[in-house]
Amino acid sequence: MYFEVHQPMRLNKFSVFNIGSQNSHSEYFNKKLNEQIFTKVAKKCYLPTNNLLLELIRKHDGNFRVSFSLTGTFVEYCQDFMPEVLDSFKELFKTGSIDIMEETYYHSLSSLYDEMDEFEDQVKLHRQMIKNLFNYKPRVFRNTEAIYDNRIAKKVADMGYKGILTEGTEKILGWRSPNFLYKPVNADIKVLLRNYDLSDDVGFRFSSRMWKGWPLTADKYANWMSHVQGDLINLFMDYETFGEHQWTETGIFDFLGHLPGEVLKYGHMDFITTSTAVEKYDAVGDIDVPWAISWADEDRNVSTWLGNDMQIACFNELKNIGRKIKEKKDPALLATWRRLQTSDHLYYCSTKGLADGDVHAYFSPYDGPYDGFINYMNILQDLKQKIG
Amino acid sequence: MKIAMIGWEYPPFKAGGLATHCYGLTRSLSDKNVHVDFYMPKTKHSTGSEKSNLKIIEVGETEIFPYDRPDSKEIGGNFYEAVYHYNSLVVSKVDKNINKYGKYDAIHCHDWLTMKAGIALKEKWGIPLVLTIHSTEYDRAGWIYPNQWFIDIEREGMQKADIVIAVSSFTKNIIVEKYGINPDKITVVHNAVYPIAEGHKQEIVLFLGRLTIQKGAEFFLRAAQKVKDFEPDAKFVVAGTGDMLPKLIKNAVDMGISDRVIFTGRLTEEEVKHIYSIASVYVMPSVSEPFGITALEAISAGTPTITSKTAGFSEAFKNCLRVDFWDTDEMANKIVSLLRYNPLHKTLADEGKQEINLFTWDIVADKTIDVYRGVT
Repeated sequence: MYFEVHQPMRLNKFSVFNIGSQNSHSEYFNKKLNEQIFTKVAKKCYLPTNNLLLELIRKHDGNFRVSFSLTGTFVEYCQDFMPEVLDSFKELFKTGSIDIMEETYYHSLSSLYDEMDEFEDQVKLHRQMIKNLFNYKPRVFRNTEAIYDNRIAKKVADMGYKGILTEGTEKILGWRSPNFLYKPVNADIKVLLRNYDLSDDVGFRFSSRMWKGWPLTADKYANWMSHVQGDLINLFMDYETFGEHQWTETGIFDFLGHLPGEVLKYGHMDFITTSTAVEKYDAVGDIDVPWAISWADEDRNVSTWLGNDMQIACFNELKNIGRKIKEKKDPALLATWRRLQTSDHLYYCSTKGLADGDVHAYFSPYDGPYDGFINYMNILQDLKQKIG
Repeated sequence: MKIAMIGWEYPPFKAGGLATHCYGLTRSLSDKNVHVDFYMPKTKHSTGSEKSNLKIIEVGETEIFPYDRPDSKEIGGNFYEAVYHYNSLVVSKVDKNINKYGKYDAIHCHDWLTMKAGIALKEKWGIPLVLTIHSTEYDRAGWIYPNQWFIDIEREGMQKADIVIAVSSFTKNIIVEKYGINPDKITVVHNAVYPIAEGHKQEIVLFLGRLTIQKGAEFFLRAAQKVKDFEPDAKFVVAGTGDMLPKLIKNAVDMGISDRVIFTGRLTEEEVKHIYSIASVYVMPSVSEPFGITALEAISAGTPTITSKTAGFSEAFKNCLRVDFWDTDEMANKIVSLLRYNPLHKTLADEGKQEINLFTWDIVADKTIDVYRGVT
């Protein structure tokens, strides 16, 4: 089981009339709203779930294992607003049943830039942060929202990681199963593939009464897993699934609380961290991914962030500002630019319809994608003016 | 199925969304084999229908204009009298047709002006009454000093109708809350649009509507004043006429924007289509807007639209920008953004045109037929 732990830095209302009118670029971020959301989610999800995991690890003598990736923006929130959240992650890590994975510090789309230098910088920032917090060097990488292609795999392998995870979509697998490790055609690294059926049963469908699997109990779920063929089942999901996307009232904590016990009842199943998995299992085949995939939306590609002209315009604008920003050698300005790279800002500008659109709307602080674009673009224009 | 529909405007004569609705609805109904006799006051323009099961029946001239507001005592008396006169003319004309050709399956009235006739016919012949509410007195008054005479007529009509069709949930809520009507009796049927061709876009920011308190043109001017210095090439067009025209012209002069604002007065149907097709931004800052067909018209012509948050259409339409009508700073922010950021303009225009395809009169007719079936 692997959990993504992330919170973006949401923006202040910024109108075209503000462009060039304020001195400080620190005014871009809505501290009050961010603190409010963070503390709410911490109380509903991070603290209670961490406590539960700790309890479960102890109860099962360390045989319950999970992996996390913590984004830099999330960790900054912990430090600014609720250090006890970070403490509880450290506590968990001390059990030895937890693995920490690498990613870009800013949960950005820098892996999609034409040059890979910014991506590398952000990975190194994350590496440094994890070292400071846990005195640990992650061996497995997971990119923002599991974005993956051959080029990214090669870069990550070159940076010394042993494993990388992404979506187990038919697009790259065809008839093959996601329940084995694979390797890219062009690099020496093992690829862990998300079992999206079983992952989404918990992440998306858990509380859906329309779903034939409802109500989902730990024994039912463990039974489903016990019939799966393969070396391993990768269950990857947002950590906020517990208590936030799925409220306490849905029974999600009862489910999680019983899951390790139900799974360990089966002799042939146990829990494994991502770094142990890449050590223990061999790759059974190659995967070739020339075009980027991800775990997001029905399309499972990068159209979530780059699906319309508005998103592409912001992406390019932001990327191009980078060259000049780096010449300035102003650390605060650089940090602001990087915070603006968090993929959520582009996610809010998505105009996808139907079910995807509803999910986007759930996360968005804006009244629709167009308001999201206007605000974000106004800020990018202001930043552009500031660097001259 | 045979329906007596009572209205008071029908293209080419039109003053508002009601005419557009009646036109689209009756034509699509007749395509679905519903026989419609459409009763309306005789006008100077000739109107008619080439469809065999849609008859336009004109019933004598009248000077009343549905959006008039008898503010002064002098015209008040004549106004009310003219309304009663028109309604009694309609009743006798329908009576005559029933005696000659047999009963209708339902009477369908639109807004307050025809309600008296609808009620009289329902009571006399025992025919079910369907009432579509396109706007209420509260909307037309912009929520200031609503006129009790209209409210009383509207309430009586809503009470006596077998079913009320509201053009939005926004309007349904007003009918429930202000008129005390049982929500189970109210069906929401959103309006539709015949798409308008897109033209060569110019830097025009457009307001189009009656210049009455309801439509909020003064907020458009305030936003224009804020945009003016940021977008030196932008022109602001105020299309339409109404009792506030002189005041708005004076406002524009006082604000120092008269060189940038064009007041067109009343436009012909062709001119309306043209201005939609070349405008870059359409703004609908209505104080109260039960639906807002004009927004759909603008969007269909590839013109991104900024609308009041409460406008009825926007509860069912995603690809538009929303503001509070009084928040002219935000309105200006959005106007400038649309003029400045091409990707925003293009995405809104493209996605908007796509979404417009979901708003057809064919669908409106289907939903209306369901309503007829429910009462007959």
